[in-house]
Amino acid sequence: MEVLKATIYPVLVMGGLAAIYALGLGIAARIFYVYVDPRIGEVEELLGGANCGGCGYAGCSDCAAAIVEGKAPVNACVAVGPDKWEAIAKILGVSVEAGERQVAMIMCRGAKDKAKRKFQYMGIEDCRAAILAGGGDKECQYGCLGLGTCVKNCPFGALTMGEDGLPKVDKDKCTGCGTCTRVCPRGIPKLVPVSLKIAVICSSHDTPPVVKKICEVGCQGCGLCKKACPEKAITIVNSLSVVDPSKCTLCGKCFEKCPTGAIQQLLPA
Amino acid sequence: MGHEVWTFSDYIMLVVSGVLVNNILLIRFLGNCPFLGVSKKMDTAVGMTFGVIFVLTCTGPITWFVEHYLLERFDIVYLETLAFILTIAVFVQLVEMVIKKVSPGLYRGLGIYLPLITTNCCILGTCFYNIRFKFGFMPTVVFSFASALGFGLALIIMAGIRERFHYARIPKCFQDTSIGLITAGLIGLSFFVFAGLAK
Amino acid sequence: MEGSRLVKEFTKGLWKEIPPFRFVLGLCPTLACTTAVRDGIGMGLCLTFVLVCSNVLISLLRKVIPAQVRIACFIVVVATFVIIVELVTQAYFYPLYMALGIFIPLIVVNCIPLGRAEAFASKNTVIYSLADGLGMGLGYTCSLTALAIFREIFGKGTFLYHHIMWSGFEPFAFLQKPPGAFVCLGLMLGIMNLIGSGEK
Repeated sequence: MEVLKATIYPVLVMGGLAAIYALGLGIAARIFYVYVDPRIGEVEELLGGANCGGCGYAGCSDCAAAIVEGKAPVNACVAVGPDKWEAIAKILGVSVEAGERQVAMIMCRGAKDKAKRKFQYMGIEDCRAAILAGGGDKECQYGCLGLGTCVKNCPFGALTMGEDGLPKVDKDKCTGCGTCTRVCPRGIPKLVPVSLKIAVICSSHDTPPVVKKICEVGCQGCGLCKKACPEKAITIVNSLSVVDPSKCTLCGKCFEKCPTGAIQQLLPA
Repeated sequence: MGHEVWTFSDYIMLVVSGVLVNNILLIRFLGNCPFLGVSKKMDTAVGMTFGVIFVLTCTGPITWFVEHYLLERFDIVYLETLAFILTIAVFVQLVEMVIKKVSPGLYRGLGIYLPLITTNCCILGTCFYNIRFKFGFMPTVVFSFASALGFGLALIIMAGIRERFHYARIPKCFQDTSIGLITAGLIGLSFFVFAGLAK
Repeated sequence: MEGSRLVKEFTKGLWKEIPPFRFVLGLCPTLACTTAVRDGIGMGLCLTFVLVCSNVLISLLRKVIPAQVRIACFIVVVATFVIIVELVTQAYFYPLYMALGIFIPLIVVNCIPLGRAEAFASKNTVIYSLADGLGMGLGYTCSLTALAIFREIFGKGTFLYHHIMWSGFEPFAFLQKPPGAFVCLGLMLGIMNLIGSGEK
């Protein structure tokens, strides 16, 4: 009898407990059933998965839900390429227009040996922290501080810190999500079309005498490039040279005239 | 710990003991795996804390009932491990379903930690301690809540410190888990200040 | 070919993917049960037994368990073997049982058996799951033993409860206490990372 009790009771009690739990969960699953559109899961599979926030939504699941509901365009996720956009469009039964891929570009050439420093900064290794210490240790108030906040925050590992104190962009890894632009306290990384052929690699709006004193390679806003350009593609906005790539013919006259080399050709002719 | 009549000051001492003197995480070693995983950022730490407080304060008494009115009645106390973990897993599954339906916002903030909490040794460990220390019903509730509070305290302190590590220059071999453990040890050392305050 | 894969699955748990150093799993017993070498070895062997048995059973049942309830099923399987271990140690190894306390039943929520069940045993055949479980379990036992040797010799001055240090030795009691466990494990992990990166 004792042996029977010792073997039967555990089986009955545990079995009974498990059955009650299973029943309870089954009923609860019916009562608390939430309909989830299965397409959201399929779309989410096709997205980048890095939760980079480049689409403007709080993570990939959010973006997938928005795309399926129609609140976001099919090409909202900048981190994946046009082939993924087409696949997403197919799931939803819509069409997609292709836009040009954008990559980040660091709009500063003020390396450690080229731009002057006001003092030696020895605080937390983050540009956002450095900027609180008297506007950063660089004389130029628009220049890259070189502490690598953008490098640390790139969700795709496309940025590395160069020996000269300037970040370098790997164009193949960069997806144009824009995280680097958002975290840089000075907004120095800018998103440009991947086929951009000419740019002024400087963010400084300081006047020519100031720039001459503090940086060897910055755009002074002297206007020599504007005078040299035969297509009138260059304008000076607040002491910073701006090129209109649609008018530029890559004749090369502005490169010759620029005293600091701030205006540069990006792709081989 | 298993006295018959509990006065209010006994309960206060129990809370002090659970949160500070015998902190469930730093002194009793329970709940370390999620501790190192979730303490990298403050918002994940806070989400986990609320999840653990809710689940533990509910499952402590529930498992107490299972032990005293089911297992002892049929003399199968040796199946405690199985019965408890089954109860905890089912409870967490139920809570996840309810939250998903009732409040999607809360689910997004808290729900993803619920599966993690099921296998958190802190939950099961505290349920065992409730039985080992021979607590009545009310002390079980208080002790469960106090343990969860202690877990949350240690987790939040850790998250606050670890967020700063992002900017510190730590040698490559010590990064992530290694420095996290050493920091946890030093925080635990500071908790020794409370030793002797309560049993 | 089959043989070499078997050897690979077994040896990966011994160095390349050794818990808790490379796979950061199963930290709670690593910290709590390593105050003495006997406890470390005992805990490691208990976990190895549970891991091997549950890996084998789950691998046998892998085609039968439905996907939605698989975590609950894994937990029940692991819990069964944990109860067996609990009762056996209580009967035949009572001092070990008293020393390990609640950490024996806590093997059921240890990340290692559940993690390997989810990641490996539910997707591979029985013989590979056995090798994986045995390798991981023995690797874990070695880690625990290494940590316990350090903590016991320098923290208490004994080895397997025999005094082996010279008579004037002042034990470094910090290592025996909880904070010491954390710091010791953290330093060992750091040193292992250093060795590991040197090897690469």
